[in-house]
Amino acid sequence: MRLRSRISTWWRAVSRAGELNRQISEELEFHIESYAEDLVRGGLPRDEAMRQARAELGSVAARKEDCRSAWGAGFFDELRGDLRFAIRMLAKSPGLAAIAISSLALGIGANTVIFTVAKHMLLDRLSVPHPEQLRMLWCTESDDVAVKGFWGYFESTPGGPDVTTSFSYPIYRQLRKQNHSLSDIFAVKPFGRMTATIDGRAEAVSTEMISGNYYAALGVRPTLGRAIGEADDGEPGSGPVIVISDRCWTNRFARSPAVIGKVVSINLTPMTIVGVNPPGFTGAYDAMMSPDIFLPFSMQPIAAPNGPQSLLTNPDEWWVMMMGRTRPGVSDPAAEAALNVAFDAAVRATVNVKKDAKMPRLMVRDGRRGQNQEAEMSKPVYVLQGLAAFVLLLACANLANLLLARASARQREMSVRLALGARRGRILRQMLTESLLLSLLGGAAGLVLAYVGRNAIPRMMTDPWGQLPFDGRIDWGIFAFAVAISVATGLLFGLAPAWQATRVHISSGLKDSAQTVTHRRRGIGGKTMVVVQVSLAMLLLVGAGLFVRTLLNLGYAHLGFNPDHLLLFDIEPPATRFPAPKDVALHRDLEQRLAAVPGVDAVTLSREPLIAGNISQSQFIPAGDAKSKPREAEFNVVGERFLSTMGIPMVEGRSFNAGDTETSRKVAVVNRKLAEEFYPNADPVGQTFTTDLKDTTPITIVGVCGDARYDRVKSDIRPTYYMPYRQQDDPNGGMQMTYEISTRMSAAAIVPSLRTAVASVDAGLPLLDIRTQQQQIDSTMRPERIIANLTAGFGVLALVLASIGMYGIMAYTVSRRTNEIGIRMALGARPRVVLGMVLLEASKLVAIGIVAGTCAALGMGRLIASMLYGLKSWDPATLALSGTLLIGVAMAASWIPARRAAGVDPMRALRHE
Amino acid sequence: MTRNNDVDLLQGTLDLLVLKAVSLGPLHGYGVLLRIQQISGERLEIRQASLYPALYRLEHEGWIAGEWGESENKRRARFYKLTAAGRRRLDSEEKKWNEFVDLVGSILKVRREEI
Repeated sequence: MRLRSRISTWWRAVSRAGELNRQISEELEFHIESYAEDLVRGGLPRDEAMRQARAELGSVAARKEDCRSAWGAGFFDELRGDLRFAIRMLAKSPGLAAIAISSLALGIGANTVIFTVAKHMLLDRLSVPHPEQLRMLWCTESDDVAVKGFWGYFESTPGGPDVTTSFSYPIYRQLRKQNHSLSDIFAVKPFGRMTATIDGRAEAVSTEMISGNYYAALGVRPTLGRAIGEADDGEPGSGPVIVISDRCWTNRFARSPAVIGKVVSINLTPMTIVGVNPPGFTGAYDAMMSPDIFLPFSMQPIAAPNGPQSLLTNPDEWWVMMMGRTRPGVSDPAAEAALNVAFDAAVRATVNVKKDAKMPRLMVRDGRRGQNQEAEMSKPVYVLQGLAAFVLLLACANLANLLLARASARQREMSVRLALGARRGRILRQMLTESLLLSLLGGAAGLVLAYVGRNAIPRMMTDPWGQLPFDGRIDWGIFAFAVAISVATGLLFGLAPAWQATRVHISSGLKDSAQTVTHRRRGIGGKTMVVVQVSLAMLLLVGAGLFVRTLLNLGYAHLGFNPDHLLLFDIEPPATRFPAPKDVALHRDLEQRLAAVPGVDAVTLSREPLIAGNISQSQFIPAGDAKSKPREAEFNVVGERFLSTMGIPMVEGRSFNAGDTETSRKVAVVNRKLAEEFYPNADPVGQTFTTDLKDTTPITIVGVCGDARYDRVKSDIRPTYYMPYRQQDDPNGGMQMTYEISTRMSAAAIVPSLRTAVASVDAGLPLLDIRTQQQQIDSTMRPERIIANLTAGFGVLALVLASIGMYGIMAYTVSRRTNEIGIRMALGARPRVVLGMVLLEASKLVAIGIVAGTCAALGMGRLIASMLYGLKSWDPATLALSGTLLIGVAMAASWIPARRAAGVDPMRALRHE
Repeated sequence: MTRNNDVDLLQGTLDLLVLKAVSLGPLHGYGVLLRIQQISGERLEIRQASLYPALYRLEHEGWIAGEWGESENKRRARFYKLTAAGRRRLDSEEKKWNEFVDLVGSILKVRREEI
C-alpha cells in the first residue's frame, strides 16, 4: 500500500509537474492569506501582515522544491535542470559542439555500418530453424580414384589433399539409404542459370536443384503454396514444379497471389510454380544470396540435360552437394566414421577402383552457413572493423579534449558552486550529464548516418551488373551496439575531466591567476590526448597509404593482354535446344553475325573470360612422357581470333586460323610459361600432347604466345594452353561461352545492335551479364577497392580530427600561459621567440605522436602483409609521406595559436586575471 | 519568529504530531498549524517552513490523503485526512513513543544507589 502510494505520487510529480506546481502554489498562497488575516485580526496593518506571513513561510520556490522532493521527484527535477543547463552550455559554443558531435557521429556511424556488414558476412547463418545442427559432407580427393567429370567447389589444404563438396548422384542415393548417423541426408546443387520464359519474355534465373526431403530436413515452409516434396523427386520428369524465392516473387510477379499454379517454361520445359519461399531464406548453399527458383533433381534430365546420360545415374560425374542434420546422441566423429564406411562401399560399387587404392575420405563439417565461400572477405572485414574502432577512438579523444578544455575553463564556476555548498557528487553528475548529452547526440547522428549509408558497403561489394548480396538491414542488435558505444564514450571520457574539475581547491580556484604560474602540471591530460590523436592519425594514414597503393599497383599490374575497348557478355544455350554439334554451329553463326554489326572491330569468344576468378584445368602429358607423374596445366577454349583480339602477342609459330575446323587435326597454342616448364630444351611447336579430358586424341602445338594473367590479377602466371572451340567434341552440348567484342563505341550505344544480331540467329538467347573487360577486372579487385576507399576516408577523417585536437590544445595552452608570455615579453623576449616557443612545444607533441604511431603502424603492417600487393608492409615511401603530411597539418594547426601568442600585448597580459 | 523555546522538537516527531492533528478531523495546512498550537496549550509552534514538506511526505507515504475543499470563509483549500494506513501508523508510532518515553524516563530516574 505504501509502495503504491509512493509510486502514484511520484508519477504525478513527474508526469504532471505543472499541475502539481500550481497546486502547491495555491496551497501556499492560501496559507499565507490565512496567516495574514489572523495577524490583521491581531492588530497588524494589512501590508505588514502579508510581509510577515511571507517571511515566515520562506521562499515559495524553495517550499515547492521541498514538497516535490518529498514526493520523490528530486532526482528527476535535478536531471531536468542538468539537461537544460547542458543544452544552454552547448548552445553557447556551437562550433565546438558541432565538431565533437559530428566527429562522434562519423566514428559511430562508420562502426555501425561496418558492424552490420561483419555481422551479415561472418555471423549470419542460414535462416532455418537450428542452423547449428546442419552438417555439410566433404571428401578428400584421391589420385587413385579418377573422377572423370567434376563440377563444383574444391579447396586445397596446406600440405594435404584437395577437399571438395561434390559427390555423384548414385553415391548420394546409397549414402542416404544407409545413413543412420544423421537424421536425414538431403542433396542440393546450385545449378547456375537457366532460361525462364515468363509470359513470353525470356530471361535468366539463378537456380538451386534440391532433393525431395530438402524442405522437410531444413524445417522451412513456404509462405505461399506448398514445398517441393518426395513425390516430386521420383522418376525423371515426375515433378515439373518449382518454388520461387521471395525476391523473385517481388521483382517478377509483383507479389501477386496468382503466382501459385502459374506455368512458366524453364529451359523450354513447362513447370508449375507451387510455392514461394519465406523472405530471408537463401537456400542451403549460401547464407547471403538466394537463387531465384528451386527445382527437384528429378527434372535434371529433362530441363537441364548434360549429355546423353542422365546425371542422376552417371557414377562418373561428381557434382551434387550433400547436407544433413545431426541426430541427437550421435557425435560428429561417430557420424563421420559410420558414414565413411557407407561412403567407401558406395565408391567401390560405383567407380572402378583398384584393390589397394587410396580411398577418398568422407568428412562431416559444420553447415550452418552452407558452404561458406566468403572466406576471402573475412580478413578485410576484420581489418576494417579494427580501423573503424581506431577512428572512433580518435573521435572520443576529441570529445575528451573538448571536455577537458571546457572543464578547465569553468574552474571558477566550479569553485563558486562548491563554495556555495554544492556536493561534489552533484557537480560530477551535472558534468556527466553534459558529456552524456554530447555523446548521445553523436550516437543518434551516427545512427542516422549508418541508416542512410547502410547499403554503401554492400553496393561496393557487388558487380555493377549483379544484385546486392544482402540488404544492409539495421536491426535492433546493431542499434543497441551504437547506443552502448555512445553511452560508454560519454561516461568514460566525461568522467576524467569532471573529476579533475571538482578536485580544485576552492580558494585557489577562485583566484584565477594562481594557476598560470605553475603551468607545467596543467594540461597534461590534454597533451596526452593530443599525442594519442596524432599517433592514431599516423596509424590510419599509413594504413590508408598502404591499401591505396596496393589498389593502384593492382591497377597498373602487367596483365599480358589489352583490356581496353572490350565488351563482354555470356551466351548460355540450353542443351535441350542445342545438343552437340548444334551448339558449336550456333557459336560460329553468332560470331559471323556479330562481326557484321557496325561498330564492331573484332569478335571472339572463350569458355572462361579473363580475370573472372575461374579456370579450366587438366593434365598436360607431352608425347613420350607417359611414364613420369602427370603434371597439371590450365587451359581455355577460345575462338579463332582470341589471341589477337585480346592483344596477347604471338612469340613463335602461328595462332588459330580458318583451317582449324571440326574435322582437321587438333591443335593448340601454349603460353611461354608452359613452353619453359614442359619443353625446356626443345621447341614446342610441332610437338604433340595428350590430356586427361574426355577426348584423348593427341593435340599438336602450332604456336607459342605471350604470358597473360588468367583468373586474377594477383595470381602468378601458370602454364596455359588454348584450344579452338570448334575442335571440342563435348557430347553434352549446350556450350556456354563468353563473347569478347572489340569496339570503340560505348556499351549503351552498341548493345541494342548486338541484341538484334543475336536474336536474328535465335530469339530465345538473352545476352547475359553485359560488362566491359575493365569492369570484369575491377570486380575481382572488389575487396582491395573497398578497403582502399574506406581506409582513405578514415585517413582523411583522422587527419581532420588530429588537426582540430592539435589546434584546441595549443590554443588552450596559450590562453593559460598568457600571463607568463606577458612577463617574458615585458622582460624583453621578441615575438619571434615566443612563436618559436609555442611551435617547439607543438612539435614535441607531434614528434612523440608520430613515433608512437609509426611503431603501431609497423605492427599493423605485419598483420595485413598478406593483403598488400607490390609493396612491403614497412614501405618507407608510405611511412615518410604519411609522416610529412601529418607534421605539415599539425604545424599548420598550431600556427594560429602561436601567432596569437606572439601578438600578445604584455600590458594586457599582465593584467589578465 | 519561532517560539518553541519551551520545547525543542525531536526529529521525526513532527510527523507524529501532524498525524495526530489530522486524526482529530480533516484540516488544511494552516489548520494543522493552528490545531497543534491549540492542543499543545500554546506551548508549541511548528516552524512553518517544515510544515508543508512534512504534509507532502506523509501524503507520499499514503498516511494522509489530500483533497480540495472549501474553507470556513468560502475559499478553496486543500484538506488532509487520515487514511486507514495512517491510523495504523499513528497507533504504532504512538506506542513506540510511549515505550521510548518510558525507557528514557526510567533511566533518568535511576539514583546513584541503585546501580
